[in-house]
Amino acid sequence: MAALAASNGDAKVLAGGQSLVPMLNFRVVDAPLFVDINGIEGLDLIEEKEDGGLRIGALTRHFALETSVSVRDRFPVLHEAMKHVAHLAIRNRGTIGGSLSHADPAAELPMMAVLLDAKIVAAGPDGEREIPAGDFFTAPLTTVLAPDEIVVAVDLPGLPAATGWGFEEFAQRRGDFAVAGVAALVTREGGTVTNTRIALMGLHDTPVRARSAEAAFGESGIEAAAVAARQDADPMNDLHGSADYRRHLAEALTRRVLTAALERAAQ
Amino acid sequence: MTAKISITVTVNGTAQAADVEPRLLLADFLRENLDLTGTHVGCEHGICGACTVLMNGDSVRSCLTFAVQADGAEVETVESLGSIDELGPLQQAFREKHALQCGFCTPGMLMTATDMLRKYPLETDDDIRDGLSGNICRCTGYQNIVAAVRSAADKRDGK
Amino acid sequence: MSPPDDIDLTRPQFIGAKVMRREDPRLLAGEGNYVADIKRHGMLHIAFRRSDHAHALITNVDVSAAQAMEGVVAVYTGADITRLANPYQATSRMKNYQATFIPPLAVDKVRYVGEAVVAVVAISRYVAEDALALVELEYESLAVLVDPEEALKPDAPKLHDDLESNILAAREFARGEVAEAFADAAATAGGRFHFTRTTPVTIEARASVAEYDKGTRTLTLHCTTQIPGIVRDKLSEIFDLPGPRIRVIAPDVGGGFGGKTSLYSEEIVACAIARDLGKPVKWVSDRMEDLMTTGNAFDEIVDAEIAVAEDGRILGVKADVIGDVGAYSIYPWTATIEPVQVVSFLPGPYRIANYAARVRAVATNKTLTGAYRGVGRPISVFVMDRLLDMAARKIGMDPAEIRRRNLVNDDEFPYKAASGLVWDKSAFQACLREAADGIGYDELRREQAAARADGRWVGIGVACYAELTGVGSRIAVAPGMPINTGTETCNVAIDSTGAVTASFGLASQGQGMETTLAQVVAEELGVKVEDVDIVLGDTASVSHGTGTYASRGAVFGGGAGILAAKAVHEKIVRVAGHLLEAAVEDIETGNGDVRVKGTDKSMTIRDLARALYSDMGRVPKDMRDEIDNLEATKVYDPFFGTTTSASHMCLIEVDPETYKVEIKRYIVVEDCGRVINPLIADGQAHGGVAQGIGVALMEEVIHDKTGQVLTASLVDYVVPSAVEIPSIDVVHVEAELPGTVGGFRGLGEGGTIGAPACIANAISDALSPLGIEIIEIPATPERLFRLVEAAQAD
Repeated sequence: MAALAASNGDAKVLAGGQSLVPMLNFRVVDAPLFVDINGIEGLDLIEEKEDGGLRIGALTRHFALETSVSVRDRFPVLHEAMKHVAHLAIRNRGTIGGSLSHADPAAELPMMAVLLDAKIVAAGPDGEREIPAGDFFTAPLTTVLAPDEIVVAVDLPGLPAATGWGFEEFAQRRGDFAVAGVAALVTREGGTVTNTRIALMGLHDTPVRARSAEAAFGESGIEAAAVAARQDADPMNDLHGSADYRRHLAEALTRRVLTAALERAAQ
Repeated sequence: MTAKISITVTVNGTAQAADVEPRLLLADFLRENLDLTGTHVGCEHGICGACTVLMNGDSVRSCLTFAVQADGAEVETVESLGSIDELGPLQQAFREKHALQCGFCTPGMLMTATDMLRKYPLETDDDIRDGLSGNICRCTGYQNIVAAVRSAADKRDGK
Repeated sequence: MSPPDDIDLTRPQFIGAKVMRREDPRLLAGEGNYVADIKRHGMLHIAFRRSDHAHALITNVDVSAAQAMEGVVAVYTGADITRLANPYQATSRMKNYQATFIPPLAVDKVRYVGEAVVAVVAISRYVAEDALALVELEYESLAVLVDPEEALKPDAPKLHDDLESNILAAREFARGEVAEAFADAAATAGGRFHFTRTTPVTIEARASVAEYDKGTRTLTLHCTTQIPGIVRDKLSEIFDLPGPRIRVIAPDVGGGFGGKTSLYSEEIVACAIARDLGKPVKWVSDRMEDLMTTGNAFDEIVDAEIAVAEDGRILGVKADVIGDVGAYSIYPWTATIEPVQVVSFLPGPYRIANYAARVRAVATNKTLTGAYRGVGRPISVFVMDRLLDMAARKIGMDPAEIRRRNLVNDDEFPYKAASGLVWDKSAFQACLREAADGIGYDELRREQAAARADGRWVGIGVACYAELTGVGSRIAVAPGMPINTGTETCNVAIDSTGAVTASFGLASQGQGMETTLAQVVAEELGVKVEDVDIVLGDTASVSHGTGTYASRGAVFGGGAGILAAKAVHEKIVRVAGHLLEAAVEDIETGNGDVRVKGTDKSMTIRDLARALYSDMGRVPKDMRDEIDNLEATKVYDPFFGTTTSASHMCLIEVDPETYKVEIKRYIVVEDCGRVINPLIADGQAHGGVAQGIGVALMEEVIHDKTGQVLTASLVDYVVPSAVEIPSIDVVHVEAELPGTVGGFRGLGEGGTIGAPACIANAISDALSPLGIEIIEIPATPERLFRLVEAAQAD
């Protein structure tokens, strides 16, 4: 903490290093100081909370999330998402704090944070603060973290009982960053849908909730929601897909995840 | 030049002490400082998997790890799996199935497979392909590598 | 010595056996010796400052700050290299060819992004890269040409001021009367086919270690090369060093696929620096350098059309090919090798009486095009087999059937193809038949109909190809090139310890030649496979050799190995006849022993060698004067070479929402002659098809309008992982063997040659209800999305 503060914003935090070190090796990023936080004790715990949620330490490795029974039971959508995160060697080192701080709009954990209404706990020289996931990401690779702050934990509020989930990611190859991804949570109580959350990955500057799709789903069902998702997306053109294609995927994947979520909610 | 840092890394069971620049990659530490050239560098950005080693039992990209981060850790490289005269069981499976051609991706494949065999049930060949998807091979088309890991998994499961 | 009666000493058959590879123990144990592993006392490291402009004049080079940095030993510019090395270019006798000089470090102009401009030599690679940032370079931009159709225009800015134009080569092929053929046709089909640019991506990137011995004035280059002999011969001219003073060694090399078959600037620079500084120097390419500077592949636009009769017979084919060959004509193959092979192989294994084709190789501000697995032929097959399927669709004929009607039949060999190539003999029809049987073609068509009714996009693909392999001196691999690709040398020697060594001018990058060639030599000599040491990749070991490319290893190595081993075997038998007191006809060898047939009189070959070499007087002088020693060197020239062919079939499914292509079944049926080691032959097919799948579905080198390489990392240049490659069935057809010594055909490139066509045909088949024809490769989900949108809009 002191080192970060002393560096006047020039230092970089090194956790898993799976996103930072490639950039260093390419020499597109440099800094006078790297603060390796891997040694900080106590930041890698997964604690079950009474509200049915979890508090996940920032240094929790992806592999720990992937294999956690608590995650599988309480947040099956997150359990599914973890399988798509890169490859085993990356998952052994990469951390949730690192992934959220790196804020790649095509990464799974930032999207999960938004979908699950996470509270991101940041610590700085002046103490800790809680930042709602919806406010945390501001632009590609950019968060509201101050240069002398680090993420220390992620708080996931518990989900209502009859909540079904869906997760679909499209990538050129297994483990690549998503060209596009959609995840949904649908809660059904007594035959009526009472809560819908849809989040988009790789379809905007940051992970976002698909608000018009959520509204359209409430009013008219899956088809309307899928079409509306096109409006919620504001994708870019790049080597891996055009904006048009990504919008097309937004619709197709939204359809798939809502169908799956409804089915699971009914079980 | 940045001041060097003293580290001690246990590599293949032997404690290795050295003074290294903070920016020295673990891959380069192994290959240059310790002459363990079995670990190969293929991309330096974590995609190809050729540099995979085990650190505290977990497969990691040695091109994305700094040597200073391995201070106090146990690192295992391909040289720990067996020797020329006595290949280990996984290496033997690769040989029998013709799971290597040029051999450059092979050490990384072996270390990844070692971790996979410990961590995952690998019930289907698709599971094996998933697990290997972070190691790129251009020579074999993967088919025989999958067969080799399958054969090792069967042995593991007593089949 | 008296072996028991039940041991059969007649020679065991190693050829055709699944012998485990001799290379494997060291490679598996991490004890391989790759160039990047080489360390020398006092070794320095090179890093290159490369152009970030695609086309520009270099107006200022200031290396003083870099030179002054601690740890930097020297900095070299183009002017320095001009002083240290003679200029060179790839020449050709082909008409209409324009050669280009290739400066190892750019002197006054840069012509592609990634071109090396300055070399920094330092105590470590880390320090050398630090110093790169201190090199000051100023450029004056010139117009950038990235579109070959712009670059070939007469008023286009010239990349090379001393040339007449940017068209580095132009050729035409014609047979029969194509205009008439099209006039008489029942149906025609055609399109503007585009096969994109790709790059080999060997997992081991290129590397060189050059050392200069001041005492013997010998330069040794350890290099990740497939062509040590070609490199040695050219470096000899570049540095005015005779053969013994310039040695090129390819140790363990991590894949080549053609990307390591050219002479590269970095190799010349490393040698120049080693000689100048008198210190060993090392350069290891990083992946970004590799993706920007290793010889690229393919990149052709082909306007092509086919005319067929009602019964599906091909009446004529015409094609106009524009090949984008990058900024210079690569050494040694020249810029002709890739695009010209497209048109010379376009007719394929089909009966075509009327053919007209033109090709132009056009220089642009991109990475040089070199040789990559398949060289031109993947495009030939893509175009020809797409045209066949398109025509078949027009006349309502099944794609396998239209091929049956047009493939050259067994009784038509030797068959002169429309481009002038001669197919000596190969099992074209049998391969197609067995591929259909193997994949269960008729059943698949039934399943496809059912799947279609369910709204699924299922497709079946077929592709047939033929290629010339093991091409001898009758035809140069790249016609008109100044190197001899038509021969290879083998020296087989049994030394005074009784050890057998066979040395070749070939080099191995994973093909297992230490094993396959040992199998061939062991069988011919009558020794055990494990007792034959194979020497490859070292120019000191044979007087002439070129290397491994064009699928020539088995034909040339196997042939030369057999000839040399036979000659040594004759000597063994003569000496044995004397030592065992028997007639030469009664002597046989096997398992390392020589025996008099039908008796128990025998001795080991090792003892025989000792008797000849070290036991004075045991073998009479006049016999020794005639045979000298147990050694022979033979040069093999297959002259015409031989035809290798295969049929590919596949079953794919396209996701109707994401447009991802899943390959569900894949079969290759090949006639590759006598197979030396089935494990290795199948492995080559698997690997070749995997690369073909990468090319068909995802690999693409992309330059933007200013010539920047956008695919400069493995995140952006996408190669298949284990998930994207299915299991591949490989079947070897037992057909009549070719006339090459040993009966071997070449293999190695077949997978990449047939797979893009097969997959493109399958996708077109899957999307045929929408009327979509795939004419652009790779068929990425993005491209399929565009095609489907356009089709559904109509």
